[in-house]
Amino acid sequence: MNAPFLIAKGITKRFGALTALSEVDLEIRSGEVLALLGDNGAGKSTFIKVLAGAHSPSDGELLIDGVPVAFSSPKDAASAGIATIFQELALSENLTISENVFLGRELKRSVLGVPFLRRKEMKERVAGLLKELEAHISDPQAPVGSLSGGQRQAVAICRALNLNAKLVIMDEPTAALAVAETRKVLSLTRRLAERGCAVVLISHNMADVFEVADRIIVFRRGRKVAEKMRSDTNPEEIVSYITGAHPDVRALEKTN
Amino acid sequence: MRQLKDGIFSLNGRELALLAACTLAIIVFSVASPYFGTPGNAATILRNSVELLLVGLGMTLLLAMGGIDVSVGIVMGLAAICVGRALEANTDPVLTALVGPIIGALLGLVTAAVVVLGRIPAIVGTLGLLGIYRTAIFILLGGQWLSGLPTGLTVLLGTSLLGVPIAAFVIVLAYIAVWVALRRTPFGLHLLAIGNSEEKARLSGIPVAKVRFATFIISGALAGLAATFYVASYRNVEMTIGSTLALDAIAAVVLGGTSILGGKCSLVGTVLGVLLLRILQNGLLLMGVPSLWQPVVTGGLLIGVLSVEVLSARLPMSPLGWARR
Ligand SMILES: Nc1ncnc2c1ncn2[C@@H]1O[C@H](COP(=O)(O)OP(=O)(O)O)[C@@H](O)[C@H]1O
Ligand SMILES: [Mg+2]
Repeated sequence: MNAPFLIAKGITKRFGALTALSEVDLEIRSGEVLALLGDNGAGKSTFIKVLAGAHSPSDGELLIDGVPVAFSSPKDAASAGIATIFQELALSENLTISENVFLGRELKRSVLGVPFLRRKEMKERVAGLLKELEAHISDPQAPVGSLSGGQRQAVAICRALNLNAKLVIMDEPTAALAVAETRKVLSLTRRLAERGCAVVLISHNMADVFEVADRIIVFRRGRKVAEKMRSDTNPEEIVSYITGAHPDVRALEKTN
Repeated sequence: MRQLKDGIFSLNGRELALLAACTLAIIVFSVASPYFGTPGNAATILRNSVELLLVGLGMTLLLAMGGIDVSVGIVMGLAAICVGRALEANTDPVLTALVGPIIGALLGLVTAAVVVLGRIPAIVGTLGLLGIYRTAIFILLGGQWLSGLPTGLTVLLGTSLLGVPIAAFVIVLAYIAVWVALRRTPFGLHLLAIGNSEEKARLSGIPVAKVRFATFIISGALAGLAATFYVASYRNVEMTIGSTLALDAIAAVVLGGTSILGGKCSLVGTVLGVLLLRILQNGLLLMGVPSLWQPVVTGGLLIGVLSVEVLSARLPMSPLGWARR
């Protein structure tokens, strides 16, 4: 297997007195879907916000292609090739699909120093991406506020693709979706990995995870308590790690 | 939600209704008062709309971004004092005209520094500044009006080009500039995204603080430009200058269909809101209603429009009246 795209070393995040993440070590590889699991409040969202540059870690280090990086904003993470689809989808409901896909990285042409939007090019690019994803959205000019949950996920995925992201992070992408839309988003997830992206997927749905993930990591109370290849584990074992019933977790929590 | 038509002067339902309201008001007042329908009075209404329109354009951007500035009237007053002093010093007319926007932009920078860097809600931060600036006006004027100022600016703004006053060109140019910034540049998208949700905008990689700074500075510069027009036409600066301007501007902008919660705005609506407000104020005055009642009408209109929006669920409010986010 090739060298990991991203390595997290000893990542710790404190919010005042609360330690949301404690010394998390993990590796993320290109072409692989990595699932992050854990109970509510385990620190999954906080961890990916660190990867996404939305939180800076209180301690620890991130390496991309072996080089240490420090993100001070989501824009920094985006320029390093990390695209994040947040749980509370960071889409602007009052803007159109194509505006959302390009938001923060608009195509523009300078006329007398004024940066005019290249609206036609952006529209065409987004129409192409939507088609490629078979998203069944005909009009890139529709406001995102009028879309269904699955369609919004597709827009968020478009945004990631458009960034030429090397790592796409998805926080509970299927949580609010109907069955058919869930299938669609899962197949999109697989397709991203096949294109050579590294994918990090957070999900509560064991069936979804076992369908798409190559590797599974379990968080509990801010710590990484398990890391398994999908082929080496089963849903029952993973659930026992999540709930803390697994002997390994008990041993770990006893020592602290 | 959707701005289907975002042309430079395209009308949606709300704006057509405003146009109808303006027309209706004109008809009613023309019947009620023999003076209302005269060309002279029409010119007066337009003349009285200039400052409000310029300040209203800035307020539209601020509200669209989820911000507000209740000190704009006093900012115009401070800029007007500077313009007046420049006139008294017989500065070159072009330079004098620029004093307004420059001082306004600087005050906008101060407002932004207080609100953005201080992370103070805009309504509270600008209210604090309002108190400070009011006293600053008093001190700068030394208890005396600036009056009978030299006519330096009258020349500049009274001149016509192709039969149209230069003033009209400046105002149209200001409108186009704001429209381009809002609808044709990344800045406009970023501003609307911040108005929709500051956190989502931040997560999308938008430089939120920078956009907020720019918007306050633009709004300040427009208030300063209004000051130039004010001094040019009245050639005096009184102690109470601009005291109802912020209320008028917020009322006109909200009337025009810009959301008080941010994320959605209409520049055409602002133009029509300004005209409707000034028509009502002028017409009521001609019908013998004392000008003391003008802020009552404006305030009532503002509250009325917002109530209708809340009741018709266009504006999502919690049962206790606090904005839902
Ligand atoms: N911005 C924040 N400020 C303070 N505490 C936070 C913040 N974000 C998350 N937390 C806390 O950190 C812990 C981990 O939360 P989170 O990462 O959202 O968990 P998960 O996504 O696994 O459910 C929780 O106790 C949560 O309340
Ligand atoms: Mg979460």
